[in-house]
Amino acid sequence: MSSRDLTNYRPGELDNGQPAQLADVLERVLDKGIVIAGDIQVNLLDIELLTIKLRLLIASADKAKEMGIDWWEGDAFLSRGAGQEALEQRLRRLEREAGIEAPEVEQRAGRRSEG
Amino acid sequence: MISALEIDPEAKTRPLWYVYGVVPGDLIPGDESEWPSVGRAGDVELVREGALAALASPVAPSEFDQPSLESRLREASWLEEKIRAHEQVLELVLGHSPVVPFRFCTVYRSREALRAFLSEHRSELEATLERISGKVERGVKAFADRNRLAQATMATTEDSVVEGRSGGRAYLEGRLAEQRNKEEIERMAMELVEKVHARLDQEAEESTFLPPQTRDVSGRPDDMLMNAAYLVEAESPGLEHALADLRRDLGPLGIAFELTGPWPPYNFVPGELA
Repeated sequence: MSSRDLTNYRPGELDNGQPAQLADVLERVLDKGIVIAGDIQVNLLDIELLTIKLRLLIASADKAKEMGIDWWEGDAFLSRGAGQEALEQRLRRLEREAGIEAPEVEQRAGRRSEG
Repeated sequence: MISALEIDPEAKTRPLWYVYGVVPGDLIPGDESEWPSVGRAGDVELVREGALAALASPVAPSEFDQPSLESRLREASWLEEKIRAHEQVLELVLGHSPVVPFRFCTVYRSREALRAFLSEHRSELEATLERISGKVERGVKAFADRNRLAQATMATTEDSVVEGRSGGRAYLEGRLAEQRNKEEIERMAMELVEKVHARLDQEAEESTFLPPQTRDVSGRPDDMLMNAAYLVEAESPGLEHALADLRRDLGPLGIAFELTGPWPPYNFVPGELA
């Protein structure tokens, strides 16, 4: 362990001493970092959908609103079932329209739901 | 889909393992009871395998198995609490050790499954740890007050403003001037971003751009011109010095900067392991 003095160490804070804003944390924790399919019980699709919503929010909140997407609202957005594929297609289209680069949701490797 | 629960009813109560990130296995944690956790407070463990260790917490299937997670993810308060905890655990380690951050909600069914993962991806994880050792991520955002930028560009476009004309022609010329001015502001903003990034990048090992945040998200009245991340030496003040220079030079133009971090190097680890 390093002998670094941690008392003055303020990770995740702005240089004016304010705690990190949630948006800054979200855009890292939800959208970056190593992605592993994890284990069989947790389906990453939900995380990926959240990530898409986050991208829409960060890159183009007004656009997202115009398209009828509200962050945290509309449970149908996250609900599963028969409409899933159609939903994903719609999201991809919205993303393209919002000018956002396609996320990793299209790479099936991250979506393994069964072991 | 046949779930594990149908095969093994005990899986309902057996803890799952939530992974925050991977560190070198020789890290000696301090008092873990003080640690934040996505599970119970203080419930953070180093799950070791070879020269690596996963920072992990046992978590209740009632919160983190697939059906539970699906409903929890819709609760903004639950999500914020867990996301903050994920980040705080990594931040605590960041001061002591290189750490490869994992994306939110990476969960394994057992300690053994987690160790098998570490073993399987050993070489990539070790290489990544080596690459980021001694380095941290910093975020730099640049903001511009459009009105002040507009004033600054006025000087260069003044000759296009035509006085004393009337009617449709004046209107059209006015619109043209307006359009030119708007383009001029955009051009100036792009040049500023290039200049700012070139200066900061000199101090960084690696860098990347994130999507600029809208006003709703940034909570500021001015426009975010740039949202960038830099991988820098943890102990080097180079980036701060560069930022101080930029603030001095560009402050009078109405350009403001925000420095965040140090962060775990979220933006500088591979998105997926092969």
